[in-house]
Amino acid sequence: MKTAVFWGCRILTSQYAYEMSVREVMPRLGVELVDLPEALCCGDPVKSVNDFAATYLSSRVLALAHASGAEHLLVPCNRCHFTISEAKRSIDGDRKVSEKILGMLREEKLEYDPNMRLWHVIDFLHGAVGLKRVKDAVAKPLKGLRLASHVGCQIIRYSDLGRVDDAENPRKLDELIGAVGAETVDYAEKLDCCGAHLMLSHLDTAFSLAGAKLRALQELGVDGLVVSCPDCGLMYDFKQKDAAATVGVKLDVPVVYYTQLLGLALSIKQEKLGLHLNQSSVDKLLMKVPV
Amino acid sequence: MSLVDLMSMAKPNLESRAKIFSKLKGRDLVNCFQCIKCTSGCTALKLLELKPHEIEKLANLGFVDELVVSDVLWTCVTCLKCVQRCPQKASPYHVIMALRNLAVEKEAKIPEAFMKAVSQILETGMAEAYQKISKGTETFDRESLKLPKICSPGEVFQTLFLKALEEK
Ligand code: SF4
Ligand code: SF4
Repeated sequence: MKTAVFWGCRILTSQYAYEMSVREVMPRLGVELVDLPEALCCGDPVKSVNDFAATYLSSRVLALAHASGAEHLLVPCNRCHFTISEAKRSIDGDRKVSEKILGMLREEKLEYDPNMRLWHVIDFLHGAVGLKRVKDAVAKPLKGLRLASHVGCQIIRYSDLGRVDDAENPRKLDELIGAVGAETVDYAEKLDCCGAHLMLSHLDTAFSLAGAKLRALQELGVDGLVVSCPDCGLMYDFKQKDAAATVGVKLDVPVVYYTQLLGLALSIKQEKLGLHLNQSSVDKLLMKVPV
Repeated sequence: MSLVDLMSMAKPNLESRAKIFSKLKGRDLVNCFQCIKCTSGCTALKLLELKPHEIEKLANLGFVDELVVSDVLWTCVTCLKCVQRCPQKASPYHVIMALRNLAVEKEAKIPEAFMKAVSQILETGMAEAYQKISKGTETFDRESLKLPKICSPGEVFQTLFLKALEEK
């Protein structure tokens, strides 16, 4: 399946482990990824400044995906996925917006395709690739690992927009974790937000939100936290020390991207999955992975 | 001081109210019946005292000019729980975003990071700055990780993006 991939800013500028692990696991599941080198920002931070400009940025991503010849667009970032989904809705549903946008795209000889199918890593693996195919590909089941999942906010809300999973009881990420042989726990803070957006205006609060969830997970004694969004990865993995300092406890929770976990189960070398880039104590988790 | 206290001296501005409604494109702000479901689950309530139902009420009453200059607008974490749970489709998140857009139009003071992101997109195409990752004594970047190079924006894009930002 030929699939265009739009990484977005956060993955391309710091969350390399997510990018590397997606690039490694997809071809092994029969997915041919096509990069969109000319794609720029999806418009997420611009939504707060000027909604039309954000819609334009997203439309450009959709048009570039169309130009690549793909019919599917994979967007591994929750925020990008939401921004592009809302832009798509406004272009498809509002003639005034679509006329302006299509005209602007034409100036770069780009065309908008209303049929482009948008996916996130979670529903793509769960639905398009299929849970069974993921299961069948597993070479090394991750037996004995007890993990917590964090799906984040913007791929599950709001349902009217058409989202990746149920808004109040998302199960797909847990099922995908199950597919690689690990166990997941349910926990009260599961739907709590990582706080990443507040990095733009209220740093301490952003760290408090991330820290509160990590503290709860630490008390639960899980082997690790599994994320699937570069913003969540940034907050729980990269900024875990800042989060710990803000909530005033020592935090030591291994945080991995789902595609890293899947890669381990597919017997892909740790370095190729970027596991040497995670800032949290992933070694603790890796020690429990059966050899 | 709470948002509501700030309104004690204020007068509603119906023109600004109409502006917010036009930005909302049909989302039903006017149907908010103050059930407070949005606020009870709001991520920013506990730490930053954001009360989305108050924003809804004040916008409905026309206190838009006061809201536009309020710091409270910038405390929303964009978790979208209020949009999901509102029984009236009154979408506090979208009201907040519309108010943020109007704040920019009216040149109110907004957190610097947002305008910085916009100028970075114009310059580099990316809202984030490119980072090297250190772990132990080693440093990694896209090149050492053998990841493809990132493109820079062309002039046509820059002109179009600037034009888009003029749109009201
Ligand atoms: S915005 Fe919706 S949830 Fe909030 S008070 Fe109004 S009706 Fe209730
Ligand atoms: S989107 Fe903003 S206003 Fe709505 S619940 Fe989340 S933090 Fe509160």
